Amino acid sequence: MTFLRRQLPLLITLVTGLLFAAQYYIPHPSSELMLTSVSKWLQIIGGFALILGVTSLFHIHAVKIRRKEPGWGYSFVLYAGMIGTIVIGLWHGGKETTDGVTTAFGWIYTFMMVPLQGTMFAILAFFIASAAYRSFRARSREAAVLLIAAIIVMMGRVPLGEHLIPISGDITQWILNVLNASVRRAILIGVSLGAVALSLKIIFGVERAYLGGGKE
Amino acid sequence: MNPVSFAERMLHIDRRIIFFMIGLCTLIPLLYPVGLAIKVSPEVKSVYDYIESLPEGSVFLLSLDFDPASKPELYPQAVALLHHAFKKNLRVIGMTLWLPGTGMASEVVSRVAREEGKVSGKDYVFLGWSPGASSVIINMGQDLYKAFPTDYNNQPTAEMPVLKGVQSLRDVNYVISLAAGSTGIETWYVFGKDKYKFELGGGCTGVIAPGLYPLLRSGQINGLIGGLRGAAEYEVLIGRNGNAVAGMDAQSATHFAIILLVILCNVFYLLTRTSKNRAKQSRS
Repeated sequence: MTFLRRQLPLLITLVTGLLFAAQYYIPHPSSELMLTSVSKWLQIIGGFALILGVTSLFHIHAVKIRRKEPGWGYSFVLYAGMIGTIVIGLWHGGKETTDGVTTAFGWIYTFMMVPLQGTMFAILAFFIASAAYRSFRARSREAAVLLIAAIIVMMGRVPLGEHLIPISGDITQWILNVLNASVRRAILIGVSLGAVALSLKIIFGVERAYLGGGKE
Repeated sequence: MNPVSFAERMLHIDRRIIFFMIGLCTLIPLLYPVGLAIKVSPEVKSVYDYIESLPEGSVFLLSLDFDPASKPELYPQAVALLHHAFKKNLRVIGMTLWLPGTGMASEVVSRVAREEGKVSGKDYVFLGWSPGASSVIINMGQDLYKAFPTDYNNQPTAEMPVLKGVQSLRDVNYVISLAAGSTGIETWYVFGKDKYKFELGGGCTGVIAPGLYPLLRSGQINGLIGGLRGAAEYEVLIGRNGNAVAGMDAQSATHFAIILLVILCNVFYLLTRTSKNRAKQSRS
């Protein structure tokens, strides 16, 4: 059993990791054909991952409802919403419109999901304004620099700012293109080197957390 | 009233007053627009110029990688880009890597196509969504028909005139990803452009735009439409003012309201801090 739980996944990871790292540099037709097949497998696995995610969500909320944990009513609403949408979606073949006529599934999407998600995102503006008022304070020199940069960028990104202080647009462009881009690039390079190191550790079996903590 | 105690009270102002202020700053400019001039930035102009330079019949792929939460910013970008592409008689391929955005993406592509008198399958195709994100891009780069054997309306893609001569992403002239998160522009660059050598542009929400400037500066993307402001700039470029231009006055007012709040909060904070420091010194 240890072989199936430990050695075999490590072996598969090692072989596929090395194979597909090398594949990128080999433009031979057979190498490309292998990539085509494997990318299709990945898409299929992606589909199963979706099913796994939905099943897991159902399970978590079923437990909450059964135990009547605090907020179990929300879980019930989630259950009703998901089951209702899945049933109606399957009934209409997943189509929002049929022959130009909006289906019930399309109605749920257009008149429930779109405005609900839009509202959730829109109220962020209110919370950001409130949070900025409460916490965006020049407590130190670094915070003061951040504050000034933020004010300039907020001005330079809207027509009124550029109308009142025409140079604010150019300064904003400079902050975004030079200061922001260079710092972001440094972070990206660091993160990428970390990702390469982690990939090598996974390929060579040093990092095994992905195997889970099951019994040997 | 003592200015310090007033400042302390103001620092703990009821947040509903701030909400009300932001609400007014959003609502009033929408009802009574001012219409201030919008300056076009070089990164938005680059996207426009590239589409302008494409000859008629070139293949343009628009990946609408966002969900309804980002609709206010990215939907106007999609509308403007689609109008531009259809006006230029480009062959348009629409798709999404975000499952919750599929219905909205399908609606915007077909609506703009209808307005421009374009026919599905002949002038444009909407491929829909397929699971896998990065693997979908790789699969499209290897063989577009294996990734999407049928379009969103279950029509076989292999027989579509719009896809004539298009076997994979290598045959696409320009790809733009309108992204609201990590599965989007970066994914299209890493798994798409880097290997399959098409030109790539981007559109994104304002909040993720600063993170994409390194890609822009290094030429990994040739242009970037950032947030509602970017959409408004694009609308100005194509001479078709829409929701983005209409929303810019509200955004101006809201930005200035936040700037005012931040300045006020710092004035009050400095007042209270100075007073506390003086009190400490006098005690010691």
